[in-house]
Amino acid sequence: MKLGLVVDLDTCVGCNACAVACKQWNTSGTTGPLTDLEPYGKDPTGVWFNRIRNYELGDYPDNKTVHFPMSCMHCEDAACVTVCPTGASYKREEDGIVLVDQDKCMGCNLCAWACPYGARELDPEEGVMKKCTLCVDRIYDEALPEDERQPACVMTCPAHARFFGDFDDPNSEVSRLSRERGGEHLMPELGYKPVNTYLPPRNKPNIPTYKNETNPIEKVKDWVNRLVAR
Amino acid sequence: MDTLRYGAIEARSPKYWALLIGLGLVAMIGVLSAHHMEVEGHVISGMNNQIVWGMPHVFAVFLIVAASGALNVASIASVFGKTEYKPLGRLSALLAIALLAGGLAVLVLDLGRPDRLIVAMTTYNFKSIFAWNILLYTGFFAIVGFYMWCMMDHAMQKFSKQAGLFAFIWRLVLTTGTGSIFGFLVARSAYDTAMLAPMFIMMSFAIGLAFYIIVMLASYQWSERPIGDLIVNRMRNLLGIFIAAVMYFVAVYHVTNLYATEHHAVEKFLLVDGGIFTQLFWYVQILLGGIVPLALIYAPQTRNCRRSLLAACALVLIGGMAHIYIIIVGGQAFPMEMFPGMEVSSSFFDGEVSAYTPSLWEILLGFGGIAITLLLVTVGVAILDFLPESLADNIVNYKK
Repeated sequence: MKLGLVVDLDTCVGCNACAVACKQWNTSGTTGPLTDLEPYGKDPTGVWFNRIRNYELGDYPDNKTVHFPMSCMHCEDAACVTVCPTGASYKREEDGIVLVDQDKCMGCNLCAWACPYGARELDPEEGVMKKCTLCVDRIYDEALPEDERQPACVMTCPAHARFFGDFDDPNSEVSRLSRERGGEHLMPELGYKPVNTYLPPRNKPNIPTYKNETNPIEKVKDWVNRLVAR
Repeated sequence: MDTLRYGAIEARSPKYWALLIGLGLVAMIGVLSAHHMEVEGHVISGMNNQIVWGMPHVFAVFLIVAASGALNVASIASVFGKTEYKPLGRLSALLAIALLAGGLAVLVLDLGRPDRLIVAMTTYNFKSIFAWNILLYTGFFAIVGFYMWCMMDHAMQKFSKQAGLFAFIWRLVLTTGTGSIFGFLVARSAYDTAMLAPMFIMMSFAIGLAFYIIVMLASYQWSERPIGDLIVNRMRNLLGIFIAAVMYFVAVYHVTNLYATEHHAVEKFLLVDGGIFTQLFWYVQILLGGIVPLALIYAPQTRNCRRSLLAACALVLIGGMAHIYIIIVGGQAFPMEMFPGMEVSSSFFDGEVSAYTPSLWEILLGFGGIAITLLLVTVGVAILDFLPESLADNIVNYKK
């Protein structure tokens, strides 16, 4: 199995609900707490497994802000696993999830240096490294209804921009979406073979944001609007 | 009397005890700072999710690099056959062990969970350069300890040359390993280069020798033992060569980076508009840590002046610290390029230069490491026969 996420950059609206749901589930989960520091202070910080980056695609007026949720990519050849001196960071054979053994991690931080996706965060109170577990304590929980055995971020996404599944199964939804929509990996050139896949934004027709002054219908509309405004 | 004799220094003087107590206090403050960071959590340090290695790591790497360099003095005699350096070998080994102990103390005490050091000592991931470094550091203690035994015990002296050669090779591998921790980090623009390993070796030559000269001159001055110009001037010239070599490697590192277009941004950051890092590079690393010491060493007016040599050594150490600070902190401060060519923003400092202000606790822990090193040397030279009773020119010239 090769479990991972598909994130649709076309529909993601950057609402941060996935990040909050992740935090809520995992802070009380097996790798919790996800320590918060000064949550009500001037500069609140804390441990998050999922953060939303934003970047601009194209130049104005043909631009688009792309919201890019990023968590652990569960790379097939993960740099964090390679550099971890104690083997606390490991990749599970059975499903490919990259995890941190919280009892073996000594908090040396080298994995945070090595990860090109900035997916690892040291819990400053617990002194150990934490990261996305793909909600491993949820996806295998047989006490939950089957359709709820998905990561918290996928369950909560209001735009249905997140999908979870097995990339080794060519008929799974994640494989199909990736195939049909031309799913891409972030920085594949580094060779870590990230599993999480991003569906690129679709090309959309430009919506004019200015009035066409030469159009006679627009001129009539303007005249009516002015008349009504009086 | 032209024979070389070693003897422990007199440890009864008030000056010696004042030094011992002073170093003990600084070391204790360092340990208490580490304890405070452990109790309160790393949140009271200046480190964060962008700058994950800070001031303690700068001190630790500085001391570890200096450790392998300090051993060179012994290697010059045993490996390269320069007999003038033979009387200095024992102190060289002691200082190397003490520097490594000080550096590792800082590194370990700054871990997120220092209590889990035993995990690092018993569970190894051999793909990790860090795991290899743990073996290299542990091996260094054992090998240099054995080398020291060979130098100090007449019955063991027959193994001295082989032990010295092995220790020299080990130290080269060790510094290669330390440099490779950074060189192997392909995710960060400032690293990802094989240049860092040889540059670290050359840095260790200069920093280690500067440390050695300061400790040697201070020991002889305070114990009122004679030390001639012959050996001092030889070391002065050697230090000059090492400083020039470090500057050469720094130049090659930056020029090769400038050749690769993908590294232009990070080079501009480090060399032109990186704020504190740019200032540290030009004013502290290059000017104070390179050009001024070279002038002090080679200028005819200061050529035989020991104070100017001491000043040059101190500047090399300050420049070396700045160099390591720029490598470690500067390399992390430059934003990671996750979306090459794109302007990235987020609520957590993406696309921005990361800010880092070292906390007092981190700095105190770092100085604690230096104090542990000097404490070990101070106690060592008073207990065992590490120092020759005289390093006058006729003794240094003595050929066995």
